[in-house]
Amino acid sequence: MSSNDILDMYIYETNTLLEQLETIVLDAEKENTFSQDNVNEIFRIMHTIKGSSAMMEFDTLARVSHRIEDLFFIIRENTMDVVSEANRPALFDLMLHSVDYFREEMEKVEAEQPLNKDVDSFLANINSLIAKIKGEEPAEEAAPAAPPAAAPAGGGSEAAPAQASEGNPDFPYQLRVFFDDGCGMENLRAYMLVTAMQSFCADSDFLYEPAAVEQDASTAETIIENGFLLMFRHPEARETAIAAVQSAGSVRSYQPHDYVAPPPPPAPAEKEAAVSAAAVTPAPKAAPAAPPAAAAGANAQQHQKESLISVNLSKLDALSAIVGEIVITEAMVTGSPDLKGMHLDLFHKSARELRKLTDELQDVSMSLRMIPVSNTFQKMNRIVRDMCKKLNKQVKLTLVGENTEVDKTIVDSIGDPIMHMVRNSMDHGIEENVQDRIDAGKDPVGEILLSAQDTGSEVIIQISDDGAGVNDEAVLAKAIRNGIASPDIEYSHKEILNFLMAPGFSTNAQVTEFSGRGVGMDVVKSGVESLGGTVSITSEQGKGMTTIMRIPLTMAIMDGMEVSVGDSIFTIPIKDVRSSVKVTNKDILHDSVNGEMVKLMDSYYPVIRARELYNLPGGEEDVENGILMWLESGDISYALFVDELLGEHQIVVKPFPAYVNNFDIKNYGITGCSILGDGSISIILDAKGLYTAAHIV
Amino acid sequence: MNAMKEDVLFQREDEAPEVQEEIVSSRKYLIFVVDDLRIGLDAEYAVEILNGYTVTYLPMMPSYICGIFNMRGQIIPMMDIRLRLGKESLENSLLVVLNYNNNHLGILVDAVELMLDIPDESIMPIPAQSAQKLVSGMCTLPDGLGTMLVLDCEQLLAP
Repeated sequence: MSSNDILDMYIYETNTLLEQLETIVLDAEKENTFSQDNVNEIFRIMHTIKGSSAMMEFDTLARVSHRIEDLFFIIRENTMDVVSEANRPALFDLMLHSVDYFREEMEKVEAEQPLNKDVDSFLANINSLIAKIKGEEPAEEAAPAAPPAAAPAGGGSEAAPAQASEGNPDFPYQLRVFFDDGCGMENLRAYMLVTAMQSFCADSDFLYEPAAVEQDASTAETIIENGFLLMFRHPEARETAIAAVQSAGSVRSYQPHDYVAPPPPPAPAEKEAAVSAAAVTPAPKAAPAAPPAAAAGANAQQHQKESLISVNLSKLDALSAIVGEIVITEAMVTGSPDLKGMHLDLFHKSARELRKLTDELQDVSMSLRMIPVSNTFQKMNRIVRDMCKKLNKQVKLTLVGENTEVDKTIVDSIGDPIMHMVRNSMDHGIEENVQDRIDAGKDPVGEILLSAQDTGSEVIIQISDDGAGVNDEAVLAKAIRNGIASPDIEYSHKEILNFLMAPGFSTNAQVTEFSGRGVGMDVVKSGVESLGGTVSITSEQGKGMTTIMRIPLTMAIMDGMEVSVGDSIFTIPIKDVRSSVKVTNKDILHDSVNGEMVKLMDSYYPVIRARELYNLPGGEEDVENGILMWLESGDISYALFVDELLGEHQIVVKPFPAYVNNFDIKNYGITGCSILGDGSISIILDAKGLYTAAHIV
Repeated sequence: MNAMKEDVLFQREDEAPEVQEEIVSSRKYLIFVVDDLRIGLDAEYAVEILNGYTVTYLPMMPSYICGIFNMRGQIIPMMDIRLRLGKESLENSLLVVLNYNNNHLGILVDAVELMLDIPDESIMPIPAQSAQKLVSGMCTLPDGLGTMLVLDCEQLLAP
């Protein structure tokens, strides 16, 4: 294993663990408690991340995971009872934050960027939560529960036991500062902080401990052990002090906490402190005994995990490419013209056997690349949760068919479109006011439904909300304002909905954090279309909006219609072909700019001649000797004139070599190529790209 | 262990002058003819030489790209180097397939002449005022074979 492989493995493993962690935390948040199993699992996850990060020499990651591990060590020893009701939201938030933090850092690791070195404030957050939790538990339990290895990672555990003995009721707003390990002269550094405090705070308004920092060098030891404690009379002074401490050198971490022996008045400046102050009396908790059934379930999961292996995607790509070749070669061998007219009973029997096996091989190799959409769907839980908090809306997310399996490349690329639609529904769909929902006779809690369905040839992903739906007039007005629509034309409901997917359209006047940055549904549309899929929107005002994405299941192998123009063979995806028609010269109409049109089923469609568009060396000139292919893709419909229809085939799509792609032929509707049974190459056309090209050229 | 190392060290010191003369760095070149030019392709990049091939015309490409061809399931673009150099195209050409940094390209040449070891030092830079395209250096071939131009694959594969 090269170091790169190890790094890949590390990133993969950590990301998997983070996903697991996020799921646990989100589920636990709904229950408002961590079961003992969950706690053990989180402890294990953090332990693994800590170990592997330390091995990879990502010290900051190791430090953070170490602290979280400490936190869960306490919870594990004392069960969830130790965390009072009031502290629980902070705990869940902290865990989700840490998931985000790790993810961010993982992205940096992947991109080979330097990691964020400044984790002190994050560590301080964890420490203060640990301190709060400890502050609530009986003093005699606190000491043994302190993890012995905490010293190098942060100062929280030393602070907690000391906290009980220190403090002055007159100076309730404390700030404990720890200096960098081994920075030396801690007492003098502390004194410099004191001098800094004096510049904005009267001597009588703050105290510090140890008090003799200026004269007594031995206080340095105490400061290393317990940190340097600053105590303020007013919360505002502490806020200013925090800023000063942040700018001071060699400060490893600091943690604000309040003197808690007698319940102090809530500190207005420090929201979290207020929460802790209000919750000094631990609430009695229900018995957290883990039911044996859950334990058994965990075991089963464990077992399942061991039967999985992770394989590099490029190996799977190579496999499907080879299997594609085998399928074609098999057809080449069994259908060889040399065999014509020969009676080969045994050969045909074996050939049938071979075909059966290659079909099976193809199915298996395809299924290898299939993964359930559940991971992508689960991520939406988090988005809905975060947005509910931010927007102050009540919405539940319902997932249907999350076990549907889809090709890995599709799963990777539908994440963003789905996320966009869910955010859209959260932001614009669900009503601002709960009262509006109640008035409309709806459940006050909004619902977003996310479903996946496999129809055999395509996967259908549906995102629907029961919100206000699309306001046609508002959309039209906006479309006219943006110059997408013309004020003189009357548009149908369907056409108006299509404006939503036009580039640069966003109905929300205000740009919010989540959606409405001017890039909107058009991103979703182009994302899905790059997968060969389509997006459609339906909406009923007052009832909500539904977005349906249809994505073909596999892209590497597709059904195509082969046509010839001169010596060239082209393949048109069967999904784009509506029909083929023979016409006479009389049916072709000419317009004033040398364009041609044809009337098909009572409508006129433009005619594009493949030979002219592509400057092909050979091909029919006379419409009566060739054939028209009626193509349709999205809202585009036209007839392509070619020489001959060769038939329908299953083909393996091969991308063009990189050198060819330098010439932007994709812009001319040429998307790839495929090797035919006789070894010749056919060029795959894209109906939409071809049409666009014909109108630019 | 130690003794052996020392041995090797001594040996190297003793033989160093001789060895230096022997391992004058040189490269093998595949020399082919295009019109009146002799062009050398670093043999390291040469994959194979084909004389039977079917090209599939690829629309919307520059004229010097004849199309693409299928070499054992691999799709490779084909370039007529005569057209690329601004000369007339020739009917009967040989196809030299090269692989430069994993980019495959087939180039049509008039004929392949020989394979030759050429010391690096005998390759001269092309004169600065020369407008010759796709060439990174030149050298005079031994035995009166003429002058060889060194093909610059990097430039060749640049769009």
